[in-house]
Amino acid sequence: MKLMRVLPLFSVAFAMIYVVAVEHNLAVFTYHPQLQQFALGVERPKAGPAMYWYGWLLTSAIGATAMSIIALVVPERWTGRIWSGFTWLIPTGVMFAFVYLLKGYFLR
Amino acid sequence: MVTTLLIIHGLSAVALLGALTHQTLSVWSPAGKRTGSFLNAARSVSSTSYTNAIIVLFLITATLGAIIYPAYRLGIRVVLQDYHLSVPEGSFELKEHFVSIGAGLLPAYWYFWRRPLAPGTARTRAVLTIVLAFIVWWAFLVGHVLNNIRGFGS
Repeated sequence: MKLMRVLPLFSVAFAMIYVVAVEHNLAVFTYHPQLQQFALGVERPKAGPAMYWYGWLLTSAIGATAMSIIALVVPERWTGRIWSGFTWLIPTGVMFAFVYLLKGYFLR
Repeated sequence: MVTTLLIIHGLSAVALLGALTHQTLSVWSPAGKRTGSFLNAARSVSSTSYTNAIIVLFLITATLGAIIYPAYRLGIRVVLQDYHLSVPEGSFELKEHFVSIGAGLLPAYWYFWRRPLAPGTARTRAVLTIVLAFIVWWAFLVGHVLNNIRGFGS
């Protein structure tokens, strides 16, 4: 089916957008667990910590969906030539990027 | 309530771990002939039959984890920081991001495991499976260790 062929692209786009969303704090919404409040966009902590993780996930899902929709107009004969290994290579690369970004926790 | 959800989260994680480990073994080290040994039986499963169960279990486990996550941020992370336990804290940060990437991988995982299996994608299927297995094992072990540090129900 035509829709299914963009699923691998969704996964790759999700990982790429996620690391950018985390690094630049591009959260669609913020959750304040102490107050049990949601706020649109990125908000600084009020009482207690602010949680952006849910917002990063939504940012990535929206971005990856948008990229998948755009990819639907690309002819299948073009996308069919793309190496399927990018589906694991890029997300794995993003995982290594997170290890690098968080290395401070392990080198203290 | 959080304790109940944490137990269900842990139980669904165990089921997910088992299913994904079976599938990974069957893909990377398929059984040649049946010998009756435990390891042989573990890797001689029909790998395709695990796919939908793995996706459902991953989503259930991750959703439960997301629901109880605020309790970690409010009650456990603060303690880790107070005691300068940066390695467990960093390990959980990695868990958070790895699980996110794993959730994003599920559409591709389903695509490459759907029947009939597409020819020429066996390597992609195998690597996707082992990446997901690594994520789930990492998440499980980190969650288990952190629970031990803070103490159950404390």
